[in-house]
Amino acid sequence: MTPEPKIIAFCCNWCSYAAADLAGISRLQYPGSVRIIRVMCSGMVHPEMVLHALNKGADGVMIVGCHLGECHYIKGNELALARAEVLTDTLEDLGFESERFQITWVSSSEPERLAEAFRGMSGRLTSLRRAERHQAAAGE
Amino acid sequence: MRPRLSCEGLHACSGCEIALLNSGERLLGLLDRVTIVHFPLLMDHKYSGQGEAAEIDLPEAEIGLVSGGVASEEHLAVLRAMRQQCRILIAVGTCATHGGIPALRNQWPVDQAIATVFSGFEGKSACQIEALVPLDRVYGIDEQVTVDCCLPGCPPRPETIVATIEALLKGETPRLPSKSVCETCPTVRTGKGQRTVRRFLANADYDPQAPVAGMRCLLEQGLLCMGPVTAGGCGGPDAPLCIRARVPCRGCYGPVRPGGNPLLDMLNALASNGSDHRSIVDRRSLLRFCGAHGLLKPLGKRG
Repeated sequence: MTPEPKIIAFCCNWCSYAAADLAGISRLQYPGSVRIIRVMCSGMVHPEMVLHALNKGADGVMIVGCHLGECHYIKGNELALARAEVLTDTLEDLGFESERFQITWVSSSEPERLAEAFRGMSGRLTSLRRAERHQAAAGE
Repeated sequence: MRPRLSCEGLHACSGCEIALLNSGERLLGLLDRVTIVHFPLLMDHKYSGQGEAAEIDLPEAEIGLVSGGVASEEHLAVLRAMRQQCRILIAVGTCATHGGIPALRNQWPVDQAIATVFSGFEGKSACQIEALVPLDRVYGIDEQVTVDCCLPGCPPRPETIVATIEALLKGETPRLPSKSVCETCPTVRTGKGQRTVRRFLANADYDPQAPVAGMRCLLEQGLLCMGPVTAGGCGGPDAPLCIRARVPCRGCYGPVRPGGNPLLDMLNALASNGSDHRSIVDRRSLLRFCGAHGLLKPLGKRG
């Protein structure tokens, strides 16, 4: 059996990490291969950090922040969004599929939304892997 | 006995060696203090299978300078021999440290690149090169062997090369510039830039009579200047070379942060300041000097 795709999730301290806490308390199910890294704000995640994770073998990377307009630091998530657009455009240039990266917004009272985002990302990466296998098999 | 100096060029244009020779009077001082034992650009030396020797035969040296990236089996063998014979190995020039211009080739699979460049009639290559056994991509030399000192630049500043060798002769650790181009740039920054970035098709706006320090920052003028993400030092104590010529920085010294990705860093810098990174045409060309270390790869077959 192939392992689940490994996902690195940068969660902001104020909303999405609290949501992850709540998801645990509420015993919501999401893939165990998600690795959460707590950051103070989604805006502090430099694109290089995402690229580093992918280069080191992560299958996908997520940045999870507060909803737009609700950032603890007023505008951090808007910066994160601008950086995410750069990443989405650039990943293909650097040889990665753009699906491997996702940015999403989760407030501290939405653990179900967070678990759903994790499940969705894991599903997309699994089908990406399947498509790659299929392509590799067709190429031989 | 004087310390021995050995110079070798791999996948490069000899520009870095010319820069060393271009260092004026300091070169004369250097020549009095070292013995050059190997320098193919200056002196004839049969060492890699030419003539009688079948093996690569390089002399021992205290200091070895290697310019150029590693693109073929031959480069790799020569580089390994250099590493074996030199006590201190210095990577000279951006080709050696980051792949440089030749590493632009890494955007395509190697067979496709060679078929394109040496294309003949009816799909047959016009040039049958048997000696050339290409590697799968162009490498920086630090990807293949341990390098003691990296001197980026296209070419590196002559004074910097000589100063590095002189420091090593004294047994000191060479002090290399670590600031970015922007930190050494005297142009006027107001903090209010353009929202879009245009190509350098029309000149920047400046007064030719006024010094560079009177010119508005080129990035703020809406030109794609790679100063923020590029290692400085090209101008020495003065303004960076390209800025002095009123032209935006093209990034020839490679990333200012070791291991950085100029493409991602530059777009990130633009996006963080509210500029529209999508207005950049052909953004992959921001990696024009840094294609090694896996930064430039063939695009996926999708789409």
